[in-house]
Amino acid sequence: MIKSVYIHIPFCNSICSYCDFCKFFYKKEWINKYLDSLKKEITDNYKGELIDTIYIGGGTPSSLDINELTKLFEIIKVFKLNNNYEFTIEFNVEDISSDKLELCKNNNVNRISIGVESFNKKHLNFLERNQDVNIKEKILLTKKYFNNINIDLIYALPNQSLKELEEDLDKYLELDIPHISCYSLILEEHTKLHNKNIKPINQDLDYDMYKLINNKLNEYNHYELSNYSKPGYESKHNLVYWNNEEYYGFGVGASGYINNIRYTNSKNIINYMNMKYSREEEIITKENNISYELILGFRKMSGININEFKKKYNIDIIDLYNIKELLNKKMLIIEDDNIFINKDYLYLSNEILVNFV
Amino acid sequence: MDQDKIRNFAIIAHIDHGKSTLADRILELTGAVSKRELHSQMLDSMELEQERGITIKMNAVKLNYKGYTFNLIDTPGHVDFSYEVSRSLAACEGAILLVDATQGIEAQTLANFYLALENDLEVIPVINKIDLPNSDVEKVSAELMDTFGFTKQEIILTSAKTGQGVEELLDRIIEKIPSPKVNKDSKLRALIFDSAFDPYRGVVVQLKVVDGKLRTGDKIRFMSNNASYDVVELGYSNPKINKVNEIDAGDVGYLCASIKNISDIKIGDTITLDNDPAKDILKGYVPMKSMVFSGIYPLETSEYNDLRDALEKLKINDASLEFTPETSKALGFGFRCGFLGLLHMDIIKERIEREFGINIIITSPSVIYKVTLTNGDIEEIDNPSKMPEKVKIAKIEEPYIKTSIFVPTEYIGQIMELCENKRGNFVNMDYINKTRVNIHYELPLSEIMYDFFDKLKSATKGYASFDYDFIGYKESDLVKMDILLNGEIVDALSMVVHKDFAYDLGKTMVNKLREIIPRQLFEVPVQASIGSKIIARENIKSLRKNVLAKCYGGDISRKKKLLEKQKEGKKRMKNIGSVEVPPDAFLQILSAKE
Repeated sequence: MIKSVYIHIPFCNSICSYCDFCKFFYKKEWINKYLDSLKKEITDNYKGELIDTIYIGGGTPSSLDINELTKLFEIIKVFKLNNNYEFTIEFNVEDISSDKLELCKNNNVNRISIGVESFNKKHLNFLERNQDVNIKEKILLTKKYFNNINIDLIYALPNQSLKELEEDLDKYLELDIPHISCYSLILEEHTKLHNKNIKPINQDLDYDMYKLINNKLNEYNHYELSNYSKPGYESKHNLVYWNNEEYYGFGVGASGYINNIRYTNSKNIINYMNMKYSREEEIITKENNISYELILGFRKMSGININEFKKKYNIDIIDLYNIKELLNKKMLIIEDDNIFINKDYLYLSNEILVNFV
Repeated sequence: MDQDKIRNFAIIAHIDHGKSTLADRILELTGAVSKRELHSQMLDSMELEQERGITIKMNAVKLNYKGYTFNLIDTPGHVDFSYEVSRSLAACEGAILLVDATQGIEAQTLANFYLALENDLEVIPVINKIDLPNSDVEKVSAELMDTFGFTKQEIILTSAKTGQGVEELLDRIIEKIPSPKVNKDSKLRALIFDSAFDPYRGVVVQLKVVDGKLRTGDKIRFMSNNASYDVVELGYSNPKINKVNEIDAGDVGYLCASIKNISDIKIGDTITLDNDPAKDILKGYVPMKSMVFSGIYPLETSEYNDLRDALEKLKINDASLEFTPETSKALGFGFRCGFLGLLHMDIIKERIEREFGINIIITSPSVIYKVTLTNGDIEEIDNPSKMPEKVKIAKIEEPYIKTSIFVPTEYIGQIMELCENKRGNFVNMDYINKTRVNIHYELPLSEIMYDFFDKLKSATKGYASFDYDFIGYKESDLVKMDILLNGEIVDALSMVVHKDFAYDLGKTMVNKLREIIPRQLFEVPVQASIGSKIIARENIKSLRKNVLAKCYGGDISRKKKLLEKQKEGKKRMKNIGSVEVPPDAFLQILSAKE
């Protein structure tokens, strides 16, 4: 049963140096067309299920103006929301305004995810993000409208010191926000950084930064590899991904998982605006599905529930792959019917996950 | 045939001094092939080779010139094959010593000249490429006169390219090179100077009849191993193949006798009649002996059988290649291979990779060490990992060579420094003229195996030429150095080194390995040891990060592919103990020893 929806808004007012998502420079004349196509894709596919979570990501959804956002929310009204739903929209700091926040609030949005990435101007400059905005002010404004807020932070930046990271974390903690996502910088292909041949920082420092984050955020619940929250503020939408559950993905370049098919829409925005959206599909076999279940489930600190796994696949998880061996090596641990990655190996989790593909 | 009218000769030269061009010009001038044919001839041959899969390349060509029969015998061009060169020269009465007018005498000019003298050949000195603007005939003439004692009148000036002087050379061959001395009535003795494999006719043997007469249908015997065969076919190349019924004393040709295994044919061996054998083998025969050994292993263990097939196929045409199966803890199943020298090793490696498409790992080349044990036994060790325990060894001897390094005088210092660093003993230095010398050093053969040629080249901006002779075994203060990964000896990396050099080398190896081997889940010590004594140590730090930092809806399929890619990478790793080593680590460490 599909209970989640992802909607992709690919437009941005500026392009960040590390971003490899599907994005285009904001173009006024494209937005209406794009939203029309989005509406068609949604009505063509949505079967009327009761929806628990909606996530509008990008790109930069907040780059849309009030009228465009209003139109977007009109389209989204088609989804039937369950009680206790979570509806998130991503914001760039500079787009935060009372008007936009109020519009969101009036249209059922109850969670804001803000791409702060860093409080340090030098590093913001490196990431090619706006450095001229008062981040603290904008976040305090957001808090007037919403209490469920996430902030993204990026670390392991070239020339970043442990001290600079600590300063970022202190500034974050001062704001008393219930959720934070911390990502070690990934140098993906097709990004400005990759083209500039930027090299990753030394892995020992990277690891030390990861440890520092865990220490500084010890008041938070480290519930997933890169995510920390106050109790009750875990991202329900992202948990759908990590629980290997199905979800709709709408918009150019968006991914979804419906009826045992994982699909990714074409990134061709011209075709999309002409309502010709094509997708790449991966059919999920049972074996494949188990593979995904493990890769995704082990991202969570609580790991995978052994009983639920057995119910879902009719197999004992510890009989799969070399899980027994990994348990013997203490790379995996079982506690209270849950199997999960030993915290000491979390930053090496690929070494464990490669066994399951 | 009138033996007085036969001239058997070879062209000897340093590499690139114009040997092939001169041979082509001689073929053209003697009418064997026209200028136009010279090319098409080769093409025809290749087509035929492809069609029938046979090797029709002949190393001796029969030519007619002014009523004389010329047998032009080809020689291999590298020091590794000096024995074959010497056997080819043994079939001749004369040699054309070709020297490049822009280069002068080089190391192989000298080596070849002495081989010719050893075989009592009449040598005709020729200065070639005189048409080039930078040729210096005066200087090169002086070198030939000073070094070899020729007179100015003896030296012929040619341009093989334009044909200038070549006719004069042909006349000189008739005039100077003696006809073969023959004993027609003696019992048959024929010298084998080359062989090749033809899948339709078996081994084709190149020979010169020294005494008596060889006929089709004769039952012959190889004197080195007493194997006997019936002669099926005799003939010669001009350069087309011509079958004949007999080859007379003094003449050169080929023989086929349904010989299936090229290893039965020994270069330098003597053929005689099985029912009327000659008493003595022709002088100069030495069984071929490998000088350099190394392990060859398939990169993918599944290619072991393919590798064996490849080696067997190569051996069909190359009797000097030796191989026996061996196993290495580090590399799995492979072969211990013996080569005539380093070039030979390179050729085999190239051919395995190019012609058979097998990726291989070659372990570091080793010489044969003569090890005298404390109980008096002597063992020959061609694999450092097989070296007996130190306490059981009374002494170790290693093969030495004597060098000829031709170099402009301004590089004498660099050469001496290089040779001293390679444990060399200076012997002496010959001045070829005021600006060039021939430097003689005694060096352990093992020391020229890694980077000597490269260093020589870079130290002299490519001006040096190099040749060597094997001069025998000498005792050295050698030790076996092992490399340990996580406490386990990696047999493929063991090597025998001089005690004084072990510490530096150990350090270099250990450092290099630390760079090459990726971090593992645990810290891995890399050590170099002599016996139980650790002489160098580095640690490969433990892996700290391998994680998909971000993984959301849009990434999921992609992230799985990334894991699949990592898994493929892990599959290719060689597991040595509990350490995963990239397959090219061995190549890297062995190719970059210093």
